[in-house]
Amino acid sequence: MVEMAVQSHQLSKRYGDTLAVAGLDLELPTGTVLGFLGPNGAGKTTVIRMLSTILDPDAGSFSVAGVPGTDRAAVRERIGVLPESAGYPRQQTGREWLAYHGQLFGRSPAAAREAAGSWLEEVGLGERGSALIGTYSRGMRQRLGIARALIHDPQVLFLDEPTLGLDPAGQRQILALVSRIADQRQVTVVFSSHLLAEVEEICQRVLILNQGRVAAQGTVAEVVRTAAAPRTAIVQVRAEAARRAIEVLAAAGVRADQATTRGPGAVVVELEAKEPTSSATAQVLTALVDADIAVLGLEIEGGRLSDAFLALTAPS
Amino acid sequence: MTSATGSSAVTRPGFARASWVVCRQELRDLWLSGRGMPLLLAFSVLLSVTSYLVASNQALNFLEQREAVNLTLQMAVAVAGLMVLLIAGDGVSGERERETLESLLLTPVSTRSLVFGKAGAALSLWLAAFVVTSVYVVSLSRGVGIAADALVAGLLVGTVLSVFLAGFGLFISVLSSSNRFSLSVAFFALLALFAPSQLPTSAQNGWAGTTLLHVDPFTSGLQYLSKVVVDAHGLGTDVAWLVGPLGAAVVAVIAAWLVAGRLKLSPGRS
Repeated sequence: MVEMAVQSHQLSKRYGDTLAVAGLDLELPTGTVLGFLGPNGAGKTTVIRMLSTILDPDAGSFSVAGVPGTDRAAVRERIGVLPESAGYPRQQTGREWLAYHGQLFGRSPAAAREAAGSWLEEVGLGERGSALIGTYSRGMRQRLGIARALIHDPQVLFLDEPTLGLDPAGQRQILALVSRIADQRQVTVVFSSHLLAEVEEICQRVLILNQGRVAAQGTVAEVVRTAAAPRTAIVQVRAEAARRAIEVLAAAGVRADQATTRGPGAVVVELEAKEPTSSATAQVLTALVDADIAVLGLEIEGGRLSDAFLALTAPS
Repeated sequence: MTSATGSSAVTRPGFARASWVVCRQELRDLWLSGRGMPLLLAFSVLLSVTSYLVASNQALNFLEQREAVNLTLQMAVAVAGLMVLLIAGDGVSGERERETLESLLLTPVSTRSLVFGKAGAALSLWLAAFVVTSVYVVSLSRGVGIAADALVAGLLVGTVLSVFLAGFGLFISVLSSSNRFSLSVAFFALLALFAPSQLPTSAQNGWAGTTLLHVDPFTSGLQYLSKVVVDAHGLGTDVAWLVGPLGAAVVAVIAAWLVAGRLKLSPGRS
């Protein structure tokens, strides 16, 4: 098994005057689930299309599962892709469509039918496999699309916004499915999504793309630190001590104000973003305790992937 | 469940096998749930009406029996060709429009096998139309003994023209982003190909006119049919009239082969 499932060096793509992807360097260890993030138009789909050999890069090189991107057929044998705007043949049944793709990947008709049946069960469509795709809900079609992407047991799975347009229950189903497949089958997953909380939940690493450039990549904690996202804490003190708490914190060099919407004793505190959260909150607590102000509660806000995302992709 | 590391039974399909897999699926889509049966039904109705009219005219001595057979056969070849063009023109641009092309391009099979598998399915329309036509030709040619020659000539001309139109339709389809565009271009090109047959006799007689008639695949193909069925020439006597359709078929297949090798998700974008 190769160490790096996906590697790219200075991968670039231009559409006319627009630079869609600018010098992407990526190293994705085998078995990782990567959250691939970015605002609309950041270049995520273009990157996935280049790595899946649908688009030719203008510059740079890449390899997938140890196979150079120039060997398109060999790359395609090793990857499974759920495209962002995947269409489905409405007049075919789910089973038939999967078996067809199984054969296009080289399986015999019998083996393709067997694989189709297994994957339909795996994605929870076993009972609807013989129904026409035209009768499927959007969530069912997305699960069928994931089954199609997996019909040939790929080593790397690219999912381009698989939860787009799904209701919360549908989103949870897709996320659970991706998580289970990644765990059980050791498939490397590149998961493009706007659901930051869910990405944080299932992805070991994240890459944030903005205007075609990598804004940050690493573990969630690393990316949040890189982004220096603004963080706040809500400190609960007695109502009559709130004014004094603000003065004490100001004297300690911490910006604070009353959080009127949270109750009379709530004080909103701005934590120093570059400091680790623990030391920043310790500074606040020490200052208040030293001034004999009883701290009734402390709630940290910010410091999440969504904050980092917004900070990294904010228009300059 | 199949293994996550890949099955030993998986081997990348070559051109012929992949084309056959695509063709089989396209045949199923065309005939079981697609436009194949409605088109064939409409074709049969049209042929019935035509046969009734030519048979009536024949009974009233307005039309010779051989001319009645020829007219029916020519109409069948032309309309079936149009149906082949319609299906072939939809082949790739239709997949683009329905957003199903990307999943096909993500498979390891060559883009040429995708296109030529579709061509095979489109040609099945001609074969089905020919089977229907043969019933009418046999019925109309009763008593003059031209059924066999008419059917062989019809099969020959119809097959060559259908190959030409399938290749041409797919060529346009690969280069088009929408069905509307590909079908419009293909349809207007087809009308242009019929135009030389409508030239006045004086324009058809000169050197340029004769060359145009021989080069134009439709006019020359239908002329060949006319020579065999109406003039009772042998099948090998007027093969010069087949050069045009054969040349056009070869050019269309080569053109489709070349563009199929460069098939992309969006035409003009690499």
